[in-house]
Amino acid sequence: MKYFLTSLVSLLVLTTSLQALQETDISTFMRTNIDIATGVLRDASIPKAEKAPKIFAMFDPVFDYVLMAKLSLGGKQWEGMGVENQERFVKVFEAKLKQSYMEKLDLYTDEKIVIKNSEKIKDARIHLTTHLMRNSEVYEIIYKFYKDKNNEWLIYDVDILGVSIIQTYRTQFADILTKESFEQLLTKLK
Amino acid sequence: MRLVYSLLIFCSVMLASTSSELEHEFSTSKEETLFDPLSGYNEVMTSFNDGVYEYVLKPISQSYAYVMPKPARESIDNAFDNLLFPIRFINNLLQLKVQNSFEELGRFVINSTLGIAGFIDVASSEFGLKKHDEDFGQTLGFYGLGSGFHVVLPLLGPSNIRDIVGLVGDTWANPLSYIESRNANLLDSSEEEFILKGIKGVNFTSLHVEEYDALKKDAIELYPFIRNFYESRRTKLISE
Repeated sequence: MKYFLTSLVSLLVLTTSLQALQETDISTFMRTNIDIATGVLRDASIPKAEKAPKIFAMFDPVFDYVLMAKLSLGGKQWEGMGVENQERFVKVFEAKLKQSYMEKLDLYTDEKIVIKNSEKIKDARIHLTTHLMRNSEVYEIIYKFYKDKNNEWLIYDVDILGVSIIQTYRTQFADILTKESFEQLLTKLK
Repeated sequence: MRLVYSLLIFCSVMLASTSSELEHEFSTSKEETLFDPLSGYNEVMTSFNDGVYEYVLKPISQSYAYVMPKPARESIDNAFDNLLFPIRFINNLLQLKVQNSFEELGRFVINSTLGIAGFIDVASSEFGLKKHDEDFGQTLGFYGLGSGFHVVLPLLGPSNIRDIVGLVGDTWANPLSYIESRNANLLDSSEEEFILKGIKGVNFTSLHVEEYDALKKDAIELYPFIRNFYESRRTKLISE
């Protein structure tokens, strides 16, 4: 029991010290890391295969992949599928998100990304709007943060040009699950 | 010990409440409660359109891109865009975006003259005048008309009742709809119109093949993916 408690406490402390994104830090954290990330993308001396892992390492702590997976599948489906399947799903879903992100990186040339504003929608929601500039076009990307139980802010969804990533997966998963089984959904996701 | 347990329970309750709130955020969204009576037809038409894209439009666009250098294609795209000025001008005005409609007018005048019939977008590169895309579907949405159900049109792709009505207005305001052959053509033929709109389509596609392919790779189930993308995007464009 004592061992359990110490490990629980140390786990809590560890996660807090690793992430601990406070409300006031959101803009700074994102600006700094987006700048580093675009630097990595532009740096020709870094091999292509090493770029994505570098970027993931920076942003992973602020993405709540478990929640994203749960929201994509929908609460009802999630509750009824058991812990083991939940874990399997989160794993595949996170991999899919990253895969899709890596494919987008291939399209990157020298676009600038600037933080436009940070808006507190509700007590526990913040929308951080960024603009990706390509030639004369501006693409709006909104990072949606929520405040978790430790008062830390984590990303639960990203809007690209007004299209929510989670909503996109949700509609597709709902459509697939009306016709096919969960196992088939997992296979399609892989 | 009891303290730890109550703390854990408290945490999980807290977590449950935020996550059910978030669940609510998605389950009540417009896309989720979408009424889709034509889903069967839409799904078939989506695969048909996708087939046309993959086996006709994409190969043609790629061979065209092979012979036509990118700057030339971009200029052609600019010229077509410049011709579509009436649609943007009228709809900015109808939505009372007076400043934007004046900028559009300025763009049209500058690009048609200095920009050599619209082939060079000097208005945005030299004068900082940006394009303000608005169409009749957006104007109808601006005045509160709901989207109606989703309809996938042959060749034209995803749409909905509101945007189909808007399409009638757009066709009316589109100069390309009025192009006719210069020689005395007794039979009223719309061939030239289709050829021009076809060239416009191929030219446009040739500039965006990579983007579309990257987008499509994200789809697990094509029809709901495109429907959700289209409806969310339109809602966003109307709100701007």
